[in-house]
Amino acid sequence: MSVLYEIVAGLGIPNFGVLIPEIIILLTAFVVFGIELFTKSRFWITTATTVGLLLAAFVSTQIETGDITFYGLYIVDTFSLTFKTFLILTTLFVVAILRPYLEAKNTYYGEYYYLILFSLLGMMIMVSSASLITFYVGIELASISIYILAGMFKRDYLSKEGAFKYLIIGGTGTALISYGIALIYGKTGSFDFRAIAETFVENNLDVGAIGGLIILIIGLALKASSVPFHFWTPDAYQGAPTPITAFMAVAAKIATFAVILRVMVEAFPFAFETWNLAWALLAAASMIVGNFVALRQDNVKRMLAYSSIAHSGYILAALAAPTEIAFTALVFYSIVYIFMGLGGFIFLSMMERQYGWRDSHINDFKGLAQRSPLVALLMLIYMFSMLGIPPTVGFFGKLGVFVALIGSDIWWLAVVLVVMSIVSAGYYLRVVIYMYMYEPTTKAKVNYTFGEIATLILMAGFILYLGIYSTDFWEISRIVVEMLMQSIGG
Amino acid sequence: MVPYEYYVALSGLLMVLGLIGVAIRRNIIALLISTELMLNAVNIAFVAFDMKLGEVAGQVFVFFILTIAAAEAAIGLGLIMAIYRLRKDVDTETLTELKQ
Repeated sequence: MSVLYEIVAGLGIPNFGVLIPEIIILLTAFVVFGIELFTKSRFWITTATTVGLLLAAFVSTQIETGDITFYGLYIVDTFSLTFKTFLILTTLFVVAILRPYLEAKNTYYGEYYYLILFSLLGMMIMVSSASLITFYVGIELASISIYILAGMFKRDYLSKEGAFKYLIIGGTGTALISYGIALIYGKTGSFDFRAIAETFVENNLDVGAIGGLIILIIGLALKASSVPFHFWTPDAYQGAPTPITAFMAVAAKIATFAVILRVMVEAFPFAFETWNLAWALLAAASMIVGNFVALRQDNVKRMLAYSSIAHSGYILAALAAPTEIAFTALVFYSIVYIFMGLGGFIFLSMMERQYGWRDSHINDFKGLAQRSPLVALLMLIYMFSMLGIPPTVGFFGKLGVFVALIGSDIWWLAVVLVVMSIVSAGYYLRVVIYMYMYEPTTKAKVNYTFGEIATLILMAGFILYLGIYSTDFWEISRIVVEMLMQSIGG
Repeated sequence: MVPYEYYVALSGLLMVLGLIGVAIRRNIIALLISTELMLNAVNIAFVAFDMKLGEVAGQVFVFFILTIAAAEAAIGLGLIMAIYRLRKDVDTETLTELKQ
């Protein structure tokens, strides 16, 4: 192995050992591409993707020490490794439920699998970026793959329309992010986070530099689907195939939150007053608009899209306070959102295959508890967790953000968070009421594959387990944030 | 020699034009062109700042932006083709089916 290391180092990539998860994902994507091209064997495509993801997840838990590679462009520390592991696992769950859905909808393409892997690679580059160049390339690799994934529903117009809106608004976000980078580069003369942090000091800023930071924040808010830059979210989420919606709503969002935290903390630690205020306003708008518009949705898929906008608000609210506990709350909430978000969307993906299910309209949920008590109970757990009812982990996510805001005396945002959580009960509980308090219109049992029900039970299990032992994850988040803060010297 | 501020101002102007284009144009091809216009505005800004700083890092970034713009244009045109085949239309007013 050491000979191999030296050869690769001679080619210009020192420490390539820390890149092994990325290399595995890339190779898996090419292998899946080859299988798709030559054999079209659906079994082998799924198997190869799953094996590659499991291998990458295993390796990313084994890498111990953090390291910088690609000449300071790429950093592999506890922060990025933790997020990478969770992103890989999220993708694994999406891949596990992808095939039955695509076959039932008659839209199976092998391309879904390797585009998901390329997108995952982009997210892994995002969370590991140590410079605005890697940050930008990672975001674009992830987004461009998702534009294609969202529009790949066979002969379905809504999917194309949603994907095109996402492309245009996402492309605007790209342009804004790169314009922000240009202005910051014009001020500091560097793309490296640490070099920027040294130059970007509060009393040394002109209007161009502040403008650059604001434009960068707007571009990132657009990618994180925060109000008032959220217009693409409901359309793209509703049009895309539901497992892809799960991937967009969970993996892409989590990676975006991680990269926002990293850029803000590492590149602009001495301009925090500007970005605290900006994120506080964006978070408040997201919570208010997301929750109120979700109230009047009859399509549950679209309702969950607005609910994910509201959740962006809850998570980004943590950036209003520049303290360690706030960043810990952000990491904790992002990670636990994986379980709720995946649960909700995978549930819809499973139900959309059922006979007589009409596009996830709220009436379809009538009497589900009588048709299949287990499935209804699982959905109840996800809804309670998104709402934030104590035995579930969603409560502790909101509690963490709330405590962080109170600790920094940002009462107005804490009040918005609590009030909007109460408003959200209106639409989360509506689903539960339709499931439990109406007579079913059909007697048909719910059919599910082993992969789907296992994933759903696992998600519900995590939500309940973490609701009781939430300190485990809180501890992980705290260590992650501590490492992040150390790298900028507190 | 033209001072670099003029180029930055030009890039800002193109950026704003692109944003206005995305906001008001109704033809889906024009929407795609507007996003490309914004990315090219960024390229001008990078080269202008390189002039000011006397460096080349910004021009390296321009290559990344060019590549990404090409990828986006390819996907955008592919989607436009798919939409046109399904609807025989390029006007956003009549195309929009996903609504609140």
